[in-house]
Amino acid sequence: MRDVSIIGVGMTRFGKYVDRTPQDLGEEAVWNAIEDANVSVKDLKVAYVANAVGQQLTELKGTIGQHVLTSAGIFGIPVINVENACSGGSTALRGAFLDVASGNCDIALALGVEKLFCGDSARSAAAMASGTIYAKFGFMFVGLYALQLRKWMEKYGVTKEHFAKVVVKNSYNGSLNPNAQFQKPMSMEEVLNSRVIAEPLTQFMCSTMADGAAAAIVCSKDCASQYTSKPLIDIAACELVSGTFTFPDEPHEEITTRAAKRAYEKASIGPEDIDVAEVHDGMAPAELRLYEELGLCKEGEAAAMIDEGKTTLTGEIPVNPSGGLAAKGHPISATGLAQIAEVVWQLRGEAGPRQISNPKVGLTENAGGWSMDDNAACAVTILKR
Amino acid sequence: MEKTKKQIPVEEGLFYQPSSPDEEPYLIGAKCKDCGLVTFPKTPVCPKCAKRDTMEEAHIRGKGKLDTFSIVQAALPGFKAPSIQAYINLDEGPRIWSLVTGCDPSEEALKIGMDMELVIAKVREDPEGNEIISYQFKPSGK
Repeated sequence: MRDVSIIGVGMTRFGKYVDRTPQDLGEEAVWNAIEDANVSVKDLKVAYVANAVGQQLTELKGTIGQHVLTSAGIFGIPVINVENACSGGSTALRGAFLDVASGNCDIALALGVEKLFCGDSARSAAAMASGTIYAKFGFMFVGLYALQLRKWMEKYGVTKEHFAKVVVKNSYNGSLNPNAQFQKPMSMEEVLNSRVIAEPLTQFMCSTMADGAAAAIVCSKDCASQYTSKPLIDIAACELVSGTFTFPDEPHEEITTRAAKRAYEKASIGPEDIDVAEVHDGMAPAELRLYEELGLCKEGEAAAMIDEGKTTLTGEIPVNPSGGLAAKGHPISATGLAQIAEVVWQLRGEAGPRQISNPKVGLTENAGGWSMDDNAACAVTILKR
Repeated sequence: MEKTKKQIPVEEGLFYQPSSPDEEPYLIGAKCKDCGLVTFPKTPVCPKCAKRDTMEEAHIRGKGKLDTFSIVQAALPGFKAPSIQAYINLDEGPRIWSLVTGCDPSEEALKIGMDMELVIAKVREDPEGNEIISYQFKPSGK
């Protein structure tokens, strides 16, 4: 396997774009990445394109990758359409990474594109729940997050104030991010007093829908300097796992922990080496759980981590400097690649007012879907400068 | 002329609805002939043994304990809020996701570890007014 670097990233601002199409959003993200990488279209030898609900909410009923890329001037190359719920973007990156690492080609594109606003919020909500077999029962991810929290909160004395602190932190970070849908810092009171969605989760603790696209261009490290003079950001690991069956009376290792262990091992990097992380905070408490599941702290110490400000932009290990899903919004398949873009910008020192101090190693965690009794997918990617 | 409202299962082959008061409802799961593992919804292959042709249909009586729960104030289109969404640890082994009915949607009405039992109940009405019914759980004795 060859060493692989990310040489270009790009995204649209996430937001509500009722009049924009997947083609339009995808074109913007892809060309931002092409310009960032300083490659030409003919350099791209394979493309992986993630989309989750386009068939339900847009005019495009299949081969969405080809539709989007053709209109962006990219055609004739292998295009692989990827659907992996909220993990689609990272799954696309894994495909591009493996194509280059294996020597199949030198440069590959990964794109995630999603249109959720269709003028009918009920249809959008139904589409987002449709990835589970329980949608027909009225299953909602917010309920799942909430019920999974109950025992952990009681065991470790975690309160909704801790969750609100995550939102306060991330909304501040988002206020410094021109690509975030929401750019207003929130106070503890605003978060705690917003509408209860599923106790203990309030409205502002939950990520919201967004339209958007994000892209990355990966290149064999050997030839990367032919294209770019920017710092090369290497993919040290890009690991994907799916959920496992829960057997009665047996401990069930969290899907994130399993993905992270594989990534740390492959990268020969430990959680103590991580300088910055972008994690899948579909709901604010998930970020705290992820501190523990990714090994950024010990089990039961997540609340102390947020209390002590260790994950703020100036903390020991900043988490979600982009503002996370809560501030950016969550265009399902674009989210994973937007996390990658943020870590690349941070590692290059290009993150502007939200730049953290001299990071060398970054991590993204991108989980999605629900199958049987576990998340359907989880990807952990480790990048290093 | 008013049409007769029907009861329509949310999904075929998931549960049995009694047709007389003498009968009890049950969940239609699967049990492994080799290791005894029970799955619900039923799986054609035992996830533990990972061999073919070891699973046979099993009727799950529907007694269990409340593992954890959430009172959800939001709802998908066509569904009513609040709802109670929960994990139930079935006596036969599997932990399953379920709606909870038969009690107030309040923290006071539910307690982790309490006995729960299966009921067949409405989850929503379709646009024609038919009842879409499913398996749900209620606190035992309620």
